[in-house]
Amino acid sequence: MAGDFEPRIVGFLCEWCAYTGADLAGTSRLKYPTNVDIIRVMCSGRVDPTFVLKAFELGADGVLICGCHPGDCHYSEGNYKAARRIPLLKMMLETFGVEPQRLRMEWVSASEGEKFASIVREMTMQIKELGPFRSENNVEALWKENPKDSKVTATSK
Amino acid sequence: MKKVTIDPITRLEGHGKIEIFLNDDGDVANTYLQIPELRGFEKFCEGRPVEEMPRIVPRICGV
Amino acid sequence: MAKLKLALYWAASCGGCDVAVLDINEKILDVAALADIVLWPIALDFKYHHVEALPDGAIDVTLFNGAVRNSEQKELALLLRRKSKVMVAFGSCAYTGGIPSLANFHNEQEIFQRVYLETPSTDNPQKIFPQIKTKVAEGELELPSFYDTVFTLDQVVPVEYFVPGCPPTVDIILKVVNALATNSLPPVGAVIASDKPLCDECERKKENKKITKIYRTHEITPDTERCLLEQGLLCMGPATRGGCGTLCVKVNMPCRGCFGPPPGVTDQGAKMLSALASIYDAQEEEGVARLLKEVVDPAGTFYRFGMAKSVLRRKRTAPVEVGAR
Repeated sequence: MAGDFEPRIVGFLCEWCAYTGADLAGTSRLKYPTNVDIIRVMCSGRVDPTFVLKAFELGADGVLICGCHPGDCHYSEGNYKAARRIPLLKMMLETFGVEPQRLRMEWVSASEGEKFASIVREMTMQIKELGPFRSENNVEALWKENPKDSKVTATSK
Repeated sequence: MKKVTIDPITRLEGHGKIEIFLNDDGDVANTYLQIPELRGFEKFCEGRPVEEMPRIVPRICGV
Repeated sequence: MAKLKLALYWAASCGGCDVAVLDINEKILDVAALADIVLWPIALDFKYHHVEALPDGAIDVTLFNGAVRNSEQKELALLLRRKSKVMVAFGSCAYTGGIPSLANFHNEQEIFQRVYLETPSTDNPQKIFPQIKTKVAEGELELPSFYDTVFTLDQVVPVEYFVPGCPPTVDIILKVVNALATNSLPPVGAVIASDKPLCDECERKKENKKITKIYRTHEITPDTERCLLEQGLLCMGPATRGGCGTLCVKVNMPCRGCFGPPPGVTDQGAKMLSALASIYDAQEEEGVARLLKEVVDPAGTFYRFGMAKSVLRRKRTAPVEVGAR
């Protein structure tokens, strides 16, 4: 892959733990890649799988979801829902040709700035190697306007 | 060569077109039936649970 | 009132929607009184050149069923759009892609390989595949170009109305006929079914949405009174538009979502996945692993009738340069 590909990763971070943890990474002046665009949500359980799909459709190369550790959710059960939803979505997305490294869910507490930075470093590197996602649902790209011979040919009688 | 095209064929389930080539005497030299459709059930049923087949394959033909 | 001009056409379709129209039985006579049908391949002998000869906009309503997955179907969609005042995406295939859009997990190459070479009953030692242009002794024959991807009707042409269902039920078809007869069609863009999810019209008892195991349909005989989802069957009811009268559920089979998403839902499959994960009772990793094992074909179940309308639309095949095909 071209060395200058910079992945665009969308990060959904929960207000209470994960976002605060990411903030701590900043105030601690930790150095980590800038490839994650952070969207603050109230809870990891708020992350509708549609958001993840939309992110990929609109150009994201990866999606990161961070929430509170199990048992620490501000809303008691939200992160448990995410803990079921995101792995199921990840499993389904493999049948869509989305490599598992492109969707990642992690628990990040408010004090885990270094953990957040390290997740971003690792994910950015993995997706850099995978290359761009390049969603194929652009209608113009999907049309094959020019008549052509079938790719799988053989003889024609 | 003169060609008569029947497109689409009608009053059956499915798509088809018939090309009839006439020679100089106006007799039929040859006729071709072509089926301009394919959906690929043979491929996309792969990987589906077997108990779902009775709910998928009837959509091959609704008649 | 002058008779309406009506056309019914089928693209990548099974004919079920056309038969569904005939299923209105004697009421077909009302349709005949109301409209002159100018194209209906299953029942009448009009050809494409008859449609081409009509002035633009001459057809009042076209009921177009079937998905678009080759160039002939696209051309017919464009032709009928030009010749019609109102286009109706009729049936699941035209509305959301339907069963044929399960082919969006594959591409032309994979499909042709299987269909023309690999299937057990195929005898094709010369490995002949359909070609767009074929030279024969007498001249040249043409077939349409097969697309890698299945499209819904409104991904090809603007569409005024959507009639969901595989096939649309008699009630819904009569609703459409009636609206045409009394000139009382809803606002453009309407989906002609219920505005509520299926669960709303389902008569089963709903108690506690917390399931501990998901069963495949052959693994249990469900109780006929209780909600199927609560009994562990993967029923698409919560993420499916109502209006069908819960036909499948009434015979103890879980809904498979053929009426498409309820109003306000962008991606039917994503919503169902989300709902299922919400109600599955597991908090530890081992429980999550169980969930993943029990849902055997998530993509094919959640998007059974709606792959073409999903946000991602199709499986990402080997990266290609946009426009290179």
